[in-house]
Amino acid sequence: MIITAPVHPLFRARTYRELLFLAIGIPFAALVFALFVAGWTSIGLLVVTPLIVPVLLGYRGLVGVLSRWDAALARSLLGVSADPPAWSEGRGFWGRAKAVLGDSTFWRQQLYLLLRMVVGFGLGIGELSLIGGSFAWITQPIWYRWAENGFGSWRVDTLGRALLFVPAGLVGLVVAGWLARGLGALSAWQVRALLRPRPAPASPARLRDVRRRALRIHGGISLGLFLLVTVIWAATTRAYFWPEWVALPLGLVFAWHGIVELALSRVAPARRALAIHGGVVAALFLFLVAVWAVTSRGVFWPGWTLVGLASAVVVHWLVERSTRQGRLARRVESLETSRRGAVEEQDASLRRIERDLHDGAQARLVALGMNLGMAEQKFRDDPVAAEQLVAEARAGVAEALRELRDLARGIHPPVLSDRGIGAAIETLADRSPLPTTVTVDLAGRPPAPVETAAYFVAAEALANAAKHSGASQVAIALREADGRLEVEIADDGAGGADESGGGLAGLRRRVEALDGTLSVESPAGGPTTIRAELPCGS
Amino acid sequence: MRIVIAEDLALLRDGLARLLRDNGFEVVAEVGDADALVHAVLREQPELAIVDIRLPPSFRDEGLRAALELRRTAPATAILILSQYVEHSYASDLLAEAGGAGGVGYLLKDRVLDVADFVDAVRRVAQGGTALDPEVVAQLLGNRGASRLDVLSPREREVLGLMAEGRSNAGIAATLVLSLGAVEKHIANIFQKLRLPPSGSDHRRVLAVLAYLQEG
Repeated sequence: MIITAPVHPLFRARTYRELLFLAIGIPFAALVFALFVAGWTSIGLLVVTPLIVPVLLGYRGLVGVLSRWDAALARSLLGVSADPPAWSEGRGFWGRAKAVLGDSTFWRQQLYLLLRMVVGFGLGIGELSLIGGSFAWITQPIWYRWAENGFGSWRVDTLGRALLFVPAGLVGLVVAGWLARGLGALSAWQVRALLRPRPAPASPARLRDVRRRALRIHGGISLGLFLLVTVIWAATTRAYFWPEWVALPLGLVFAWHGIVELALSRVAPARRALAIHGGVVAALFLFLVAVWAVTSRGVFWPGWTLVGLASAVVVHWLVERSTRQGRLARRVESLETSRRGAVEEQDASLRRIERDLHDGAQARLVALGMNLGMAEQKFRDDPVAAEQLVAEARAGVAEALRELRDLARGIHPPVLSDRGIGAAIETLADRSPLPTTVTVDLAGRPPAPVETAAYFVAAEALANAAKHSGASQVAIALREADGRLEVEIADDGAGGADESGGGLAGLRRRVEALDGTLSVESPAGGPTTIRAELPCGS
Repeated sequence: MRIVIAEDLALLRDGLARLLRDNGFEVVAEVGDADALVHAVLREQPELAIVDIRLPPSFRDEGLRAALELRRTAPATAILILSQYVEHSYASDLLAEAGGAGGVGYLLKDRVLDVADFVDAVRRVAQGGTALDPEVVAQLLGNRGASRLDVLSPREREVLGLMAEGRSNAGIAATLVLSLGAVEKHIANIFQKLRLPPSGSDHRRVLAVLAYLQEG
């Protein structure tokens, strides 16, 4: 058997790149710290003024610059590729600020910078000092003469004593090498976990399983700790049962976890807030009762607190109920509008199909029948003319077939049901007269109506780009994130798309019928970006 | 030449069988779904199976999937896919499954109208050649390939298109009304300009051209 000893990290170039990344992290940490302090102080001071919007956008810009810079550094030094995802943009003045605060990319980048600051400043300095110290010890025999060092009265004043430091320094260096590896892996993990676009969320069922397991593990650990201290208590004094003071916080934290878990099982966020509020009050009350029980047991003083806390919960519940009704009313209204839109759109499509059949294939079949009828008449007397007519009839059939195929594709392209939205959009791009690039980032197949709507958004936008915009190229991006399918068509044309025009208005109705949103950005002078977001939820 | 037909619409199936018999082919089985197709091919070992993409029960791409399966289980049988619509991704799958072997075709049903041309394509595929619908080729030449084909003259593009359809030099010469020598010269120019490796059989030539077009 051959055992190959792993090469120590200090003999690998990679380790030095990782050390460089850590070393750069030290001044970088100072920069991040300054940005955090300056950014959040100004945000805090300006929060009630309109100035908050540009400040927030500027702050986000700087966070993005630092994150991208560090991602580029990580790419060249650590070999981790991470392209920070795009921000989500809001519309309108306040909407932009709201979009910043609701943007997971923004928060993940800040978390990344925070971790980088901690690792860079704490662990990075520790690691570099270890390396420096180890070198100092290894070289002790060279320079001990000129330095005054030692521990207490034990002075390093002979070569023998100085040589004692060499093995210790070597051990330090070996440890520092392994540590550098570990820190490098940690940095790479940070970049991967926080600077890459967020992976598709796990299914709700799977998340629920994970949370349930976490709750069970938490319960088990709490119980184990309590048993441990009880055993210690039994083995030692057995006087006052002090483990109850361990049990109390453990139990409270566990109860709190259980309540949050219960609240998370519900769907609506507003109800979740109410459940958590109720849970906090219940936990607080239990805590007070427990304190009352183990201390005085005199007048039941927690009662008054309970009345106050409970009335706050009742008020919360009343407010929640009334806003829920308001929300439901608004929802009904928007559903009515979008349903009416969907029905109108369907009606218009059917009429269009009827007209196409009437003017196209039907008319062609009539002409075909006439040609064949005439050919039949001339068959004997004028075979040359008859042959000509039959040839014309055949050409007419080919034309009718082509029209019918285009019509069928306009109703529902076969490739969409066979191969899904990605393949269908690539076919669209192939058929387009404009050079068109397609990027597809999908985990699975969205529901059929969502695929169909996304397909027609792309088809219409692409047709508009080819017909009106004067664009020289088009980019179509298709991605799924947070349970929503997003399709974006961007051209470099002259812009000025008419949103109220038949095509786009029809698309909007189609998208809204599926609870999606369609945005059209097409300033005069261009470029045009059309984006549809469609929820894929069940 | 022995042929199996898989097509669910009886009207089309009968018409196709009649057309083929009139032109001297032997239609040994006519079936209406994918399972029956696989059984018939394994039983009859025909030279060619003509398959519709959409077959029962789900009317999606059963025919294509059965054809891909037959390429593995009965490689001696050539496959000609006939469909109401063409998608070049289907053609790519079919050619990928065929590998260097040839004996595959993918045509619109419309092509049946030009009987002589259709019969020629049937014969070509059955003998190990290739027949790709002009629409598939147009899709490939139209968008992705367009900018990279600027180096070619219009005539050379025409030749390239016919080559991608799977036609022989003689076939290309007849279609474009050129001499065989002129066609050969155009082809040599195309291969040189696109830096494609020269290839022996017509089918390998199709694969080289398609691979080049799909890179884009």
